[in-house]
Amino acid sequence: MQNPYIPIPVRVEKIITEVDTKDIKTFRLAFVNKHDEENFKYLPGQFAELSIYGKGESPIGIASSPTQKGYIEFTVQKAGVVTTALHEMEEGTLMGVRGPLGNSWPLEYLEGKNIVVVGGGFAFTTLRSLINYMLHEDNRTHFGKLTCVYGARMPGLLIYKDELEAWSTRDDIELHVTVDKGDANWKGKEGFVPTICKEVAPSAENAVVMICGPPIMIRFTLPVFFDLGFSKENIITSLEMRMKCGIGKCGRCNVGHKYVCKDGPVFSLAELNHLTKEY
Amino acid sequence: MEKRLIKKHELTGIIDKLASGLLVYAPVQDEDNVLFKPVQKGDTVLTTFANTKNAPKNLFFPRSELLMKYTRTDKGMELAAGAPEVSQAVIFGVRPCDARSFILLDMLFDQDKWKDPYYFDKRAKTTVIALNCVHPPYSSCFCTSVGGSPVSSEGADILLTDLGENYLTEFVTEKGRALLKHFGDVNADKTSEKTKDEIAKTSAAEIKVQIPAREIKPWLDANFEHPFWDTIHQKCIACGTCTYLCPTCHCFDITDEMKGGNGMRIRNWDSCMYWLFTKETSGHNPRSSQKERWRQRLMHKFRYYVDMFGAISCVGCGRCVIYCPVNLDIRKLVEDIAKQ
Repeated sequence: MQNPYIPIPVRVEKIITEVDTKDIKTFRLAFVNKHDEENFKYLPGQFAELSIYGKGESPIGIASSPTQKGYIEFTVQKAGVVTTALHEMEEGTLMGVRGPLGNSWPLEYLEGKNIVVVGGGFAFTTLRSLINYMLHEDNRTHFGKLTCVYGARMPGLLIYKDELEAWSTRDDIELHVTVDKGDANWKGKEGFVPTICKEVAPSAENAVVMICGPPIMIRFTLPVFFDLGFSKENIITSLEMRMKCGIGKCGRCNVGHKYVCKDGPVFSLAELNHLTKEY
Repeated sequence: MEKRLIKKHELTGIIDKLASGLLVYAPVQDEDNVLFKPVQKGDTVLTTFANTKNAPKNLFFPRSELLMKYTRTDKGMELAAGAPEVSQAVIFGVRPCDARSFILLDMLFDQDKWKDPYYFDKRAKTTVIALNCVHPPYSSCFCTSVGGSPVSSEGADILLTDLGENYLTEFVTEKGRALLKHFGDVNADKTSEKTKDEIAKTSAAEIKVQIPAREIKPWLDANFEHPFWDTIHQKCIACGTCTYLCPTCHCFDITDEMKGGNGMRIRNWDSCMYWLFTKETSGHNPRSSQKERWRQRLMHKFRYYVDMFGAISCVGCGRCVIYCPVNLDIRKLVEDIAKQ
C-alpha cells in the first residue's frame, strides 16, 4: 500500500527572489529519484504539501507547468513556521514534497474555448502554470484566444517579471499587467484589476475566466464578468483553506461536504453557489 | 454462519488464553473508569460492564501516532523510518454502537484514491469481538435513532450474546472464524438463536430516547444560515471532550518534533471545537466563533457525512451527552432542529 503521508525527496535546485520586499520566492525543486519524477504526474491548478522535516508541511499550488520537465516550482510567501524555514533554505538542500494533490484547472472543458486569466498579487502561481501550459507549442492550438490581466499593488511586487516580459512580446497571448500605483520607472498600466478587466472587456462568447487573487479583488472582479455576460459555470476560481493531510481525512478544509484538498481547490462559481459560504 | 455456545464462566478463560499468544485489548477497571487496555497476566477482564469511557477508535487511530522518523545526515534531513510494524490483535468487549463506528470510520479512511495505511494496517490485523447489549447500559443510549441497534453484528468479527447461562458466539467474518478453535465445540441450537432474536427486540424496545436524526437532514440542507445557530453554542467552553470521546470523530493534526538531529512526524487527534483548527496563517478563520464550530459539528455528523457516505456519523453511544461538562446535549439539539 502506497503511504500518502511519506514525502517524496527533492532537492532545492534554484531559489528566485521574486519581489523587492524579498518575502516571495520561487523554489525550483528537483526529484532525488528518477522514478519519483516519472510518477509525479500533475496538471496546472494542483497543489502539493511542501514538507520540511522538523518544521512541518504547507500546502502550496504548483507554479510550474507539466510541460517544464525535470523539476517542479513553487512560489511561496514567507508567513508561518514552514514557509519561513523554506525561505531560509539554501540551494542544494534536501526537503520533501507530497503530491500532486487536489483537482486541476478543467483543461478538457477549456479546450476549444477562449481563455481569460485574471490574477492579483502573488495568487498568480497556478495561473502561471496554466498559461505556460497553454502557451506550449503542443497545446496552444487546443485553446482559443488567450487574455491575461495581472496586477499587483506596485511594480516591485509583480512576480515572474521575466516571464511577463517574454509573454508581452508574443502575439498568441494578450497580456495586461497593471499596478495599483506605479513608480518613476513604471510605463505600464495603473489601476485596480477589476477596472482594467472592465477596460479590456473580454468577450464572453465561448469564453471561460479563471480568477485568483485576494478576496477583495475577487469581490469586485466578479460583477465585471457578470456584466460582460460570463455565466457562473464559466467563472472559475481556486480556494485556499488551512490543511494538514491534503487527502480528505484530517477534517479541517471542508466547505460543506466538499473538501478543498481533494474535491478542490478549483471550483466554478456555479459549484460554489451550491456549497456553504464558509471559506 | 458458524455459531457456538460457551458456558458463561468459560469466557474469561478464553480471553486469557487468547491473550497469552496475541495482543488482546479488553475492558478493565482503571480507578473509576472502565477502559480498553492490553490484557496483562493477572488482569481481570470485565464481561459485565456498561461501556468503556473511551471509544475503541483509539486502537486503530491512536490519540497520538508516529507517522515517520527522520534524521539529519550530511546531505540534509532524510527519512529514517516509515510506518511502524503493527502486530495481530484482538479487541474483546466492543459494544455494538462502537463496533459500528469502525464501519463509519472505514468509509472516511478509504475514500477516493487515498487509503490511510496507518488506520488500515491495524484494522486489518485486528479481530473485533463484540458484546451485544442485552439491556441498553445507559438511559442516554440512542443507537436506534442513528441506524444502529443494541444487538447487531455490524462491525463485529465475532459477536457474543449473553443468554443467561451461555454466550451465543457467532462467527460473523472469516477473520472471526480464524479464532473458532478457542470457543469450544458446542454448536448453537435453534432455541438459543430464538432467544437472541427475542433479546434483540426487548433490548431495542428498552431504548426510550428516539431522536429525529434522519429527519432533520432536509432542514440542515436548506438552513446553513439560520437564527437557530445563534442559540446553540453559548455555554460551550470548547473543551473538545465530545470530539475526543466520540467513536466517529476523526479529525487530526500533523506535527513535527525534533530532538538533536533526530525527529518524528506524528499525528494527534484534533477537534473542530477549537478556534485554531481552521485558523490560517494570514489570520483569517473561516470558522471564527464557537457558533460556526458547533454548526460544523452538527452539519458534519447529520448532513455532510450523509452526503459523502450515506450514513450519519453518530452511533448513539451517548458519551458526549454523559461527559459534556456543561450538559450540551446533542440529542436535544437534534430535537430542537426538528422543531424549527
